[in-house]
Amino acid sequence: MRNRSLLVLTAIAATGTLTLTACGSRASNSGSGGSSSGSTTVTIGVDAPLTGSLSALGIGIQNSVDLAIKTANKNNEVPGVTFKIEALDDKAAPQQGSLNATQLVGDSSVIGVVGPLNSGVALTMQKTFNNANLVEVSPANTNPALTQGPNWQTGTKARPFASYFRTATTDAIQGPFAAQFAFSTLGKKKVFLVDNKDAYGVGLVGTFKDEFTKLGGTVAGQDHVTSGASDFSSTVNAIKSSGADFVYFGGEYPDAAPLTKQLKAGGANIPVIGGDGNYDPTYIKLAGTAANGDFATSVGAPVESLPSAQTFVTNYKAGGYSQAYGAYGGYSYDSAWAIIEAVKAVVSANNGKLPSNPRQAVEKAMSNVNFSGVTGTVSFDQYGDATNKQLTVYGVKNGVWTTIKTGTFSG
Amino acid sequence: MTDTLQIRPEAAAAPKPAIPLPTAAARAVTAAGAVLTAASAFLSWTYSSQFPGDLTLSGYPGGLQWITFTGGLLTLVYLLVGYGTPGLRGLAPGGAEGTTVILAVGAAASTWFTLIAISVELGGLANLTTGGWVAGIASLLAVVGALGLPRDGQHPQGHRLGALLYPGKRPELAPAKRLAPAFEVGIVLLTLAAALGVFAYGVDTSYAELFAGFLILAGFAAWALNRSGDFARLGEIMQRHRVLATVGAFVAAGLFPFTQTSSNAEANANLGVSILIFAATALGLNIVVGLAGLLDLGYVAFLGVGAYTAALVSGAAGTAFNVQFPFWAAALLGAVVSGIFGVLLGAPTLRVRGDYLAIVTLGFGEIFRIVVQNLDGTSGPNVTNGAIGISNVPDLNIFGFDFGSAHSFGPFDIGRFANYFELMLIFTAIIVLVFARSANSRIGRAWVAIREDETAATAMGINGFRFKLLAFALGATLAGLAGTVFVHVNYSIVPDTFQFAGPTPPNSAFLLAAVVIGGMGTVSGPLVGASLFFLLQAKLSFLHDYQLLLFGITLILFMRFRPEGIIPNRRRQLEFHESQTEDGQEGPTPELRTAEA
Amino acid sequence: MHELPQNLVNGLLLGATYGLIAVGYTIVYGIVQLINFAHGEIFMTGAFGALSVYLGLGSGTSMWIAIPLMLLGAIVTSTVIAVLTERLAYRPLRNAPRLAPLITAIGVSITLQQLVWGFYPSAKSPRVFPSLPGGPFHVGGVLIQSADIFVVVAAVLSTLFLAYFVRTTRTGRAMQATAQDPDTAKLMGINTDRVIVIAFALGAGFAGIAGVAWGLRYGEIKFDMGFLTGLYAFTAAVLGGIGNIYGAMLGGLVLGLVQNLTAIYIADIPGMSQFSSQSWSSVWAFVILILVLMVRPQGLLGERVADRA
Repeated sequence: MRNRSLLVLTAIAATGTLTLTACGSRASNSGSGGSSSGSTTVTIGVDAPLTGSLSALGIGIQNSVDLAIKTANKNNEVPGVTFKIEALDDKAAPQQGSLNATQLVGDSSVIGVVGPLNSGVALTMQKTFNNANLVEVSPANTNPALTQGPNWQTGTKARPFASYFRTATTDAIQGPFAAQFAFSTLGKKKVFLVDNKDAYGVGLVGTFKDEFTKLGGTVAGQDHVTSGASDFSSTVNAIKSSGADFVYFGGEYPDAAPLTKQLKAGGANIPVIGGDGNYDPTYIKLAGTAANGDFATSVGAPVESLPSAQTFVTNYKAGGYSQAYGAYGGYSYDSAWAIIEAVKAVVSANNGKLPSNPRQAVEKAMSNVNFSGVTGTVSFDQYGDATNKQLTVYGVKNGVWTTIKTGTFSG
Repeated sequence: MTDTLQIRPEAAAAPKPAIPLPTAAARAVTAAGAVLTAASAFLSWTYSSQFPGDLTLSGYPGGLQWITFTGGLLTLVYLLVGYGTPGLRGLAPGGAEGTTVILAVGAAASTWFTLIAISVELGGLANLTTGGWVAGIASLLAVVGALGLPRDGQHPQGHRLGALLYPGKRPELAPAKRLAPAFEVGIVLLTLAAALGVFAYGVDTSYAELFAGFLILAGFAAWALNRSGDFARLGEIMQRHRVLATVGAFVAAGLFPFTQTSSNAEANANLGVSILIFAATALGLNIVVGLAGLLDLGYVAFLGVGAYTAALVSGAAGTAFNVQFPFWAAALLGAVVSGIFGVLLGAPTLRVRGDYLAIVTLGFGEIFRIVVQNLDGTSGPNVTNGAIGISNVPDLNIFGFDFGSAHSFGPFDIGRFANYFELMLIFTAIIVLVFARSANSRIGRAWVAIREDETAATAMGINGFRFKLLAFALGATLAGLAGTVFVHVNYSIVPDTFQFAGPTPPNSAFLLAAVVIGGMGTVSGPLVGASLFFLLQAKLSFLHDYQLLLFGITLILFMRFRPEGIIPNRRRQLEFHESQTEDGQEGPTPELRTAEA
Repeated sequence: MHELPQNLVNGLLLGATYGLIAVGYTIVYGIVQLINFAHGEIFMTGAFGALSVYLGLGSGTSMWIAIPLMLLGAIVTSTVIAVLTERLAYRPLRNAPRLAPLITAIGVSITLQQLVWGFYPSAKSPRVFPSLPGGPFHVGGVLIQSADIFVVVAAVLSTLFLAYFVRTTRTGRAMQATAQDPDTAKLMGINTDRVIVIAFALGAGFAGIAGVAWGLRYGEIKFDMGFLTGLYAFTAAVLGGIGNIYGAMLGGLVLGLVQNLTAIYIADIPGMSQFSSQSWSSVWAFVILILVLMVRPQGLLGERVADRA
């Protein structure tokens, strides 16, 4: 009696296990998009924070890549190859980035990835992509160590990952550019340095400081603030008593805006200069009139002056995306387009067909990519960094950002 | 869960079925519904292959249809049990009818979830084909039939959950006859295999809809198996073969990477190792929270201490100390350093008041991140490389086994993350062992005594401070141990990971939730809670913007209605429901309470 | 020269805000022995309540009319939320083991924060808070903003009011009795449930005032401003001696000074120059908390009482 019931139980369990296994295999079969008749479909992955507090930037990245892919498909940019997008949400968390990286690597149709936004996330993804020779192009990472190795400051540059590229300009260019602007154009010789202790801010202040002292300027003082703090009164006092001509701030506008506000209220009417983290309308909204006279550097030429950029803006509007392309839209578009160009090169070198395992070939082809993109000429140097060194200084005048100076960094 | 709770006799009168049907008719309707539900999975449900899983094919179920199929099949099986089918009779010692109701509702819920998901995503009910309607109607038919079955549960009156208790509570089980040892061993192995299968399936679900459907059915099935008494019976058998069950569970878990053969294998292994790290850390926290009753709100910082320590001695380029320890030494060092931090933090705090610890640890969790950010050479000595973090942590190489590359074992390819999965499994086993050994020792009993009444415990000669400090430091040590693996899996470490309530596990709030939801004071509770919690947030990413909100509400609701968690520790359960037992609403009889105490 | 007087003033002003929040921790802890983790979020919701009132008034309203209404809005918002929390989340757990209400408090804290983040219009980034007209005033080389005057007035009046309330009113004495021995208080005919609700409401009212003060001083408010501020405020309450109202104020002032002065003057200690920056100030606050727990666990003004746990 008992034994019989066990027998039935065994049978049911076995059936259950079998069905479950079968289920798993089918799901994965339908998951990876293979080649269909006529044209091959390849996927460009996107990894960015699509939810949470950075989602506006992340969705801008996703939409811009989507626009690039649609444009490429419409123009039949690579004959015989159709592109599609697979966007994953990394929630701005390194852990999730690692999971997404393995997922993208596992999908054999993925030929390149655009992302991530945060350099902390990039650190967990780089090696996984590199092991699979899967190209990763970040539109936003600015930390020089990502491409030039951890000892880049001491001059021993070594590229850690051959599959990592970026269209974003590194701190090593933006900081010195701001230093030259402050020293030569504004004629200010005494700086007070403030950073908000995140990777971006620390990197920016470090490179600014090196260039500024090399030019002959003096550092009157330096302070570090905790990102997200509200009370900067001790920093303001330190700035006032240091007698500095201006403040260089490394960080993003949520920290910069209250700092400049409290600084001006505290009676120190000296400009705050920041990087592209400050170049945002919200900076002016939060700081109010205190923002007038402040400066921010940003990468690339102003959108108005580049025809390719204007086309992007028009197409983006016509694309019907509900969210703005944000600070990194142009770079994201160029990142995706660089991958498309690389695929094009691979296909044309292989008699108009995509090789069976194209990832390695695409990685090789990336270093020869050269085209005129949204942010200017896009190509990569021996470290995988963008060769585009054009930057623009913007200043706040009467509550709006206005172009002050466009230039190319040489140094 | 309610083995020992006796329902007062006047409440036990079984009410009438909700739908007045002759029992035979009810059985027939249920059977027809269940069979049709299962069969409908072989039809096409929609016209468009846009819906994930492609439900347009006839003759072979896909994606969510498997869920419906399983639901229908399970309903049918328990209906047959209730009918007294030979060979199945022993399967529902706690009553098959109530079980059938739960399963029928579960099958209907998951089926209708699918239908609604199709309609919403593709825009309108018009997207359902006849097959879809058959599935929907058949699953409802099974529910109607099941509601006509006689009710075999026990029904306490005036319970606040009302309708939820339609299936009734499981009656007290008669003591089971022991089976032949070989069969019992077989059952243990089968159970483990089934658990592995269900877990692997859940991890492999490649889209949110499938995971949600899976979760709905799994939830109802778990309820049903609890109601039917199968869980209790299995528990007894597992208890008799405890060593086999424990070892078997780890072997089964170790086999998990081998079940992953699709192209997603590495992604799933990565998910698996992340879950393990999270679960093992949660288990460490359970010593502090569950056993000793101390609230640690900065627990992830101890994981961070271990991780940073291991990273610093890993030989990664650009770190302050250019040394490379063998991994065993790094792991030990990470654990010890973390333990030292635990003592440094606990010693001044625990001497004062228990609940100061909560706020001090909350502060510590926040301070840890800030300190690590500042130790970068400009605003402090360069130890941790600041916000940029330590990158390119090399892969482990133990006895010539390179964890960084794939290895072949016969027909199986085991990738990098699977290697780490197996390593983390060993660490989890160590943590489980430490937990179990200390919980069942003099120390563990002292912790429980302190937790329940510190004054009385002190009067009994227990040095409260010393034992509390021991629990706190031990918890910190175990978290540090988990952290040493964590840093190698992720190649790098940055301060931003260590937040109180961040977007992804591990963070202190999620760790606490895994313990609270899983069950305080048990081994399996945090493991189940952590797996469930991790999968929920990983698979249902569309909920992410509301994730923390739902999380906060869940904590409140669990504390209000089920403070003992999903898998309750029996003593803890009594402790939490003390006030109710005093009011005489529900709970054990006085004899039982004295027996327990 | 680091402008010592200005730093002292800034530290005291920051401390006064901490003190206003710390009062809430101290009253509630004194009566129910619960660390109400959600108190920082009560402070935050107060600020958002005030902002809502301001936005509702329209931009033309004079600040002299707007400020009292905003204060009222802040106090009402904070109090309603605190009382609801007490009623729905904490009261059912009155007799549960100590861990249960603490975990619930964490849940409430996260829930409130996320509700504001997700549902208050454009609260995902900081929101601009109106500022007071007039100022700044130069007093002996120290620069004082008009919002600073508001902070001082609010802190002084609130402390005086609270001292009067607890000392002399019937309810206040009932609160004292409940704090000393809830069971005996109950036997004496005191409705302890009511006393507890009043304690929550009082604390929330002060947190609401602190929210307005915070917004006026810094010109912006954000959904997560209550988390760290709440942590500091609790530290202030412990520092001053938990359960003691004057202690909470004193602790707040001390903590504010510590945060402001360490950020600058630690640099003057040989070898410590790297540890002196705004980014280390929260670490020093934490070190102070640990030191107090080691040396004087009952706090500056607290009396040694047996742990009733």
